[in-house]
Parts: sequence; C-alpha cells; structure tokens
Amino acid sequence: MQKFIEIAGRIGSQRHLVAIRDGFVAIMPLIIVGSLAVLFNNFPPLGSFNFVDIMNNLFGDGNWQQVGGSIWNGTFAVLGLLIAFSIAYNLAKSYEIDGLSAGLISVAGYIMLVPVTADWGLNFAWLGSQGLFVGIFVAIVLTELFRVLVNTKRLTIRMPEGVPEGVAKSFAALFPAVIILMIVGLFQALMTVFVEMSVFELIFNAIQKPLQGLGNTLPAAIIIAFLNHLLWFFGLHGTNILGGVIEPIYLPLIEKNADLWAGGLSAFEVPYVVTKPFFDVFVYMGGSGTTIALLIAVFIVVRMERNHPYREVAKLSSPAGLFNINEPVIFGLPIVLNPVFLVPFILVPVVLTVISYVALSTGIVPKTVAILPWTTPPILSGYLVTGGSWRGIALQLFNLSLAVLMYIPFVMAGVRALSQQIRDKAS
Amino acid sequence: MKIILVCSAGMSTSLLVNKMRAEAEKRNLEATIEAVPESQLKNNLDGLDVVLIGPQVRYLEKKIRELAEPKGIKADVIDTKAYGLMQGDKVLDQAIELSQ
Repeated sequence: MQKFIEIAGRIGSQRHLVAIRDGFVAIMPLIIVGSLAVLFNNFPPLGSFNFVDIMNNLFGDGNWQQVGGSIWNGTFAVLGLLIAFSIAYNLAKSYEIDGLSAGLISVAGYIMLVPVTADWGLNFAWLGSQGLFVGIFVAIVLTELFRVLVNTKRLTIRMPEGVPEGVAKSFAALFPAVIILMIVGLFQALMTVFVEMSVFELIFNAIQKPLQGLGNTLPAAIIIAFLNHLLWFFGLHGTNILGGVIEPIYLPLIEKNADLWAGGLSAFEVPYVVTKPFFDVFVYMGGSGTTIALLIAVFIVVRMERNHPYREVAKLSSPAGLFNINEPVIFGLPIVLNPVFLVPFILVPVVLTVISYVALSTGIVPKTVAILPWTTPPILSGYLVTGGSWRGIALQLFNLSLAVLMYIPFVMAGVRALSQQIRDKAS
Repeated sequence: MKIILVCSAGMSTSLLVNKMRAEAEKRNLEATIEAVPESQLKNNLDGLDVVLIGPQVRYLEKKIRELAEPKGIKADVIDTKAYGLMQGDKVLDQAIELSQ
C-alpha cells in the first residue's frame, strides 16, 4: 500500500508529466470558450424555438456565426501551438529558468516545422490537435536544450551594470535561442530533403493516430476508469495523476468530433465515442465514483436518523457535489481505505463506462461534441455535450439510477458496520 | 499568521478555507488563510507560516516540504477526517499547533 502511494506519487510529480498536465490546465479556459462558441453557433432548437433560424433572420445567413467561428480559429483550432507554449513555459518554470523565453522559443520552433501552404500561409491542419504531439515534443526537447544552454556560463552575454533587467534577460536567451533554432532549422531541412514529409505527418501517423485509435476502444476506457478510482480509493487525486497521459490522447478526439459537428455532421455520425467529456459527463457525475449517486443512496437508506453521521456528510457534500466536486464525500464518509466502499466505488464507474460506451457506439445516444467546464452539473451537461439531445439526459438519468441501486446495499452494509463499531466502543 | 492550503486546483480546499476564516474570526485571531493550486505555491512563500496539504495530493508532501522547510515554513498533510467533514476549527487547530 505504501509502495503503491509512492509509485503513484512519483508519477504524479514527474517533472515532464506535470509540465504537460499544467500546460493543458493553462489552455483549458481557451479550449472551453472555443467549444462553447461552436455550440452557440449550432445551438440546438428547443421545440419551436430555433435560435439559429432567428439569428439568421436577424443578421443574414451565417454572418453572426463568424464571431463563434473566429473564436474557434483562435482557440481549439490552434491547440498544438498553444500547448507548445504552455508546456515549455511550465517546464522551464519547474527548473526555475526563464519561462517566457522558453515558451517563445518553443513557439518559434513549432512554427518552423509547420508545413507552409502554396500561397505562403500556415497550414491550420497542423496547428491544431493533429499537431498536438509535435507540440509536446517540441516544448520538452527545446526546453531541455534551453536549460542546458542557459546554464552554460560561456554562452551568456554579460551586460554592464545599469542595463534594465528585461534587456539583460532577453540577451541571456539570445545565444541559446540562436543555437536551438539553428538545430530545428537543420532538422527541418534534413526532413524535407531525405524524408520528403513533414515531422507532423510522421509523428501523427506513427504515434498519435495509433494511440488515439487505442484510446477510443472500450478496454482502454475501462482501464482508465479503473485506475482513476483505484487511485482515489487510496485518497490520491486520480484524474490529476493520470492527466499528463490522458489529456494528449483524449482532447484531440473531442476536437475532431466538435469540428465535424460544426461542419454539419450530426452528433450521431461523428467518429469518436470515448473522449474527455465522455468520462466527465456520463461517468464522473458528481465527481469520481459517480458520488452524486452515493449521496442519493445515503439519503434513501438513512431516512429516519436525522443526525446519522452518513447523513451529515451527505448534507455537507451535496452543494459541492452538484458541481462535481466530491472531496468532502471521499474523505468524510470516508470512501478512502474503507473496505465497505471499495467495491462499488470502483465497480460503478466501470459499469457506467461500459453502458455509456455501448449506448453511444450503437447510436442509441448521440456522441459527445462539446467540451464543457468539468464543474457543469449533470442533466445540463448531458444535454449540452450531445449537442442538445434529450437522449444525453436520458442516459445520465439511467446511469444515475443504476448507480444509486448499486450503491444502496453497500450504504446499508456501511450503516450496519458503523453501528457495530459504536456498540463495540460503548461496551 | 499566514496559512496556505494546497490542493490540485484550489477548488475543494477553498470550501474549507471559508470555514477556517470564520473560525479564526470567532477566535479573534489575526490570520490570512488562502487556497492555492500546487503550481502556485512557489509564488506565495513570502511571510508564510504554515502550508497545509490536501490529502488528495499527499503524494506531493515530500516536494512541498523540500520547498517550505528550508524557509522555516511548517508543512503537513491535513487530517483526512477533518478535511472530509470540512471542520474549519480542527484544521485551524492543526495549523496553530504546527506553527508553535
């Protein structure tokens, strides 16, 4: 057990994985804005109220949609570029070297590698999620180089006293930047001459595409749900520890779905079942462990005793639980290291993952086409994430009811164990 | 006295922070209490007395101790039960005990 925490701790604090995770955390607001802009542009009709038609009549077909469209271009569509900066920045910060310079060098290196179109434009296809892995590699490799070079005394230009710090700093990064960008340029030239393919295509086809294909399968989704909850059972922040590995695989999938959906494909036809919001919306309702169902189960089982400790915890945790924040339940009930709750806490999310996967892949429920803030309450999230389908809500309600039923026997067992403990103490 | 609580995004601990502030006020205790995500801790070390670590990020304990203890800042993981039940008074006691 101690060993397990140690290993999880080492993964959770591995410098590069942390930089990747924090890089994603940093750009998440932009990603969510971009996703909501697409949702806004294609707002689902509610009965006879058709938002898109009304807006088209008011402003002329499609004119108003340019607002959302350009927001998309500046956010989700340049995911790879954004991540190249934010990961380099965070990694440099963790070494306590100049994060801004590292980030800028990383962006420059990234742009150098992006294929240029015939009329001298940057190819959007490789600025976005398809270039995500290159963005991660560029950020990490160039920042490591930068760290070595910046710490090499002979390469830094010393400024006379009285030169403002900002100026001195930018000169400190000058030689390292020259060397790094030369290397990138040379690499790019070699790629063009010998491989006749951009590094983007190479990495996308060799690494990113297979990984994403794997990520979209049911076994991978089950393993993720299982690991996440096993970590939480030991009181460790599962989503956080796994974040550095999971985000790069699952974020591009939702981007693809959202992009195709904005292009006119229905939410049933988009390709990917397992995405980041797939877990957030259909499985982690009320937080990891679908704990909102556990709260309901507690209220059902403990109806009579108003001051029962379980009921107290459930009352205390409910407001935050609606927004998928559940640390109070996890540590208060507690679930952590509590043998009574080990089984349902891991089993419920795994079962819901399977059910949701089946429901989405067979086309009973539309797939996910929007990424929402993870704090969006269930029901609302089910509606929005499927591009405005009541079937999304229906699946959430089905999953919730099933989870409540699965939790009830264990809550009953927990109540019995608790009163036994109290009696033991009394005697 | 300045106390900082660290967790992953600073969200769940901010609930606890409000309770601790209320408790400090009740006791007429002069205290600044804040919740920050782990990545922000480094920028908040000035004048800090105690760092309390959320139990869900307890795997960061060693890293945070290495950061805090050379500066004479006390660090510890928040008592799990008190954290879960959001007992501001108990966690405040823990912080005061640490700082002595």
